Amino acid sequence: MILSARSSRNALPGALLLLAAAAVLSLAVGDVRLGPARIWDGLLHRDALASTVLWQIRLPRMAVGVLVGAALGAAGLIMQAYFRNSLASPDLLGVSTGGAAGAAVAIGTGWAAVSLWALPAAALAGSFVAMGAVLILARRGASTERLLLAGVALNALLGAVTAYILSRYTDVYQRNAQILFWLMGGLEDRMGMHIMIALPIPLAALALWPLGRPMDLLSLGEAEAQSLGIDVRRLRRRLIAIATVMTATATAVAGTVGFVGLIVPHILRLLVGPEHRRLVPLALVGGAVFVLGCDLIGRMAGGLRLGIVTALIGGPFFLWLLRRHP
Amino acid sequence: MPPGAKRLLRSVAAVLAAATWVVDARAVDGAAVSPVRVVSQTVGTDEMLIALADPGQIAALSKLAADPEFSAVAAQAAGYPRLEPNGDAESVLRYRPTLVLCANYSRAELVAQLRRAGVRVLVFADYTTMDDAYANLRRLARELGAEARAERLIAGCRLRMDRLSRTLRGVTPARVIAPSVYGAIPGADTTFQDLCDHAGAINLAATLGHLRGHAPPPVEQMLTWPVDEVVLGGWNAGEALAPFRQLSPYEYMDAVKSGRVALVKPYQLSCVSFHRVDGYEALARALHPGAFP
Amino acid sequence: MAFAPSSLNALEVAGATVPGRIEWVSLRLPPGMMVGLIGPNGSGKSTLLDVAAGLLPATGAVFWGNRPVGTLSPLERGRSAAWVPQEARFEFGFTVRSVVAQGRYAHGDDDQGVDQALASLDLTALAARPVNRLSGGERQRVLLARALATAAPLQLWDEPLAALDPRHALEVLLLARRLADAGSTILFSLQDLRVASCLDAVVLMEGGRLRAFGPPDSVLTPVALAEVFGVRARSAPGTIFELA
Repeated sequence: MILSARSSRNALPGALLLLAAAAVLSLAVGDVRLGPARIWDGLLHRDALASTVLWQIRLPRMAVGVLVGAALGAAGLIMQAYFRNSLASPDLLGVSTGGAAGAAVAIGTGWAAVSLWALPAAALAGSFVAMGAVLILARRGASTERLLLAGVALNALLGAVTAYILSRYTDVYQRNAQILFWLMGGLEDRMGMHIMIALPIPLAALALWPLGRPMDLLSLGEAEAQSLGIDVRRLRRRLIAIATVMTATATAVAGTVGFVGLIVPHILRLLVGPEHRRLVPLALVGGAVFVLGCDLIGRMAGGLRLGIVTALIGGPFFLWLLRRHP
Repeated sequence: MPPGAKRLLRSVAAVLAAATWVVDARAVDGAAVSPVRVVSQTVGTDEMLIALADPGQIAALSKLAADPEFSAVAAQAAGYPRLEPNGDAESVLRYRPTLVLCANYSRAELVAQLRRAGVRVLVFADYTTMDDAYANLRRLARELGAEARAERLIAGCRLRMDRLSRTLRGVTPARVIAPSVYGAIPGADTTFQDLCDHAGAINLAATLGHLRGHAPPPVEQMLTWPVDEVVLGGWNAGEALAPFRQLSPYEYMDAVKSGRVALVKPYQLSCVSFHRVDGYEALARALHPGAFP
Repeated sequence: MAFAPSSLNALEVAGATVPGRIEWVSLRLPPGMMVGLIGPNGSGKSTLLDVAAGLLPATGAVFWGNRPVGTLSPLERGRSAAWVPQEARFEFGFTVRSVVAQGRYAHGDDDQGVDQALASLDLTALAARPVNRLSGGERQRVLLARALATAAPLQLWDEPLAALDPRHALEVLLLARRLADAGSTILFSLQDLRVASCLDAVVLMEGGRLRAFGPPDSVLTPVALAEVFGVRARSAPGTIFELA
């Protein structure tokens, strides 16, 4: 733990402050140059261009970024407690790959061009396929090892679907470009409808809130947790359901964004220790800060997609983690 | 708030928005700004826009507009701002367009965002034949008030097409393919097929290979096809052919070994606007030099 | 029901069978007893403890204080029995204190009796240390302290002395004695037969079956020692360790 116990208590207010700052910056940065005065006028609908840019482009983008970041941060935390491994991430169980497959099908077949809802709906459907498989196994009380292996298999199978779509529709290059664009994950052109689709995220976060202490016990051993009074089967089902709903929704709304669920809980654990009662709210806020921050970096670097920035930061971080973990 | 009042407020806001838009643009640019400002998102619409619009009406062109590999108007496009590669709606709105030109493969969310911002968006969905190109020209011309210019362009193209088909009358069609280093070659229902149809060529990928769209060819069979010439896009026949001399299966083809190349400019292989008539003529000349005096 | 319990027992296992591990093991432990579970490697000691703790499903029945374990809610189970595994693997760096406090989960608080539990296992000085940076013996003591913190009347410990140094091993035995005298029942497995003499009773396992149960002298007969362990016992003047 890098921070002392006293500072750890200040971590959440500090994180919330960071989030507020990131949110304000998100509204201030963009291709259309708006000074503070115009931003203020825009927020109050006194300046037409500024108000369009702020209310229709930057605010939805920021809101979706907050929701997606919170979801991925929390889902990563759950995964790490569930698998008792701090290298776990939300991608393990194939939910985001399922979303990618669904999106690839929607874009490749052209349905995505027919209606704006088709793409997120297809991504959710693909995630549900993976989620369904995972939940059936979890309901049967499958061990964590079996779940991991099932995740590996699902990732392979659903990844093959995406690859097939990419190979099949090569004649319309732009469609493939769109699929690849989506696979990089990003917050461009998010609208009110995406915020609506992402509404399960705060609900899932509420469901996660009281599970902090049980997660502590679970993260040190399932048999031990059971003997200490935890209904382990029920807790595991709940945690998996929350994590998969969060991952599926985040993927449907922003594409496949990697490394958030791996890095954010890990850094937070280094800072304030492994107590989940503290980590759950911090992972939600910290994930949001991380995603907004990466989005800002991408925007200022000339249009790098969010998934690229998180991977550029996440890849080296992951290697560093492996060095620390013998 | 009663619904009538909401509607009233919205229309007032719209009028104010239109007014402030113009005022705002003037304030920032410091000079009078044309009431029509067009942003083009695709190369096909770039080519139309440059042909039909006054320079002052062009706010920005697509990211490939100045790339001679893809754009027929690369030289003219150099003077205009170009859109960013992964731009979102804001990167289009910063040019304060009144009209944005997209294709049916543009990101649906981007189109929706622009429309919600109050900008008129034209989406072009048909661009496979020359008649589609004429229709697109007329459609854009209507928006710009440049109908006369469009008709002149179309008449000129028609003239050239007639002349070309007369020149090619009685000519034995050449049997061609368009090889690619990427593993997929154009068959029927592609721009290349259209090119062949108007240049006195038979696309063996379609007739013998039964390929539709861009698809991987039957490699072994392809070696048995009687390919008269390979059609390549490039600036120099030798350079364009070089990669295929080492690439299987093309390296074993007679046409490649003997260097029988019909060279067209790179953008002519994928051109979807009225400029495709340049491609027709170029390919026809390359395949049937004897027919042209 | 064929397995209805008779008098009030802290733990009753009736005909428990886990295929391949234990076979038809029946055991009745009254309250206030310190019981050792001995047997060669692979005789089913850990399995029996897992079954007694309700963690491993088995045919047969398990009762805690005359109540079938299956009828208890998870929280009641947490309050009724504590289980200590053989090995402690801690993936995350919780402090010793917070791990011990986890024993209070079933009681809904997280500080009652925690300090005493830490003191009993000589962990007060290590209270703020992350558990993933402890030695094997220290980790074992953390597990025992956590079990202690649950204040459960039935304690099931798997090889609690294995990793401990002589002093701490003696302290744990004294602790178990104190708990038994106060009315709890402690069943723990051990390898060192010389410790058996301080126990109230001994359960002897062989090949998955319960071979004998009773006071140490009556169970650890020369015949039993020779047949089960392949060793002979001989009394001789020797060194006895006591707490200083």
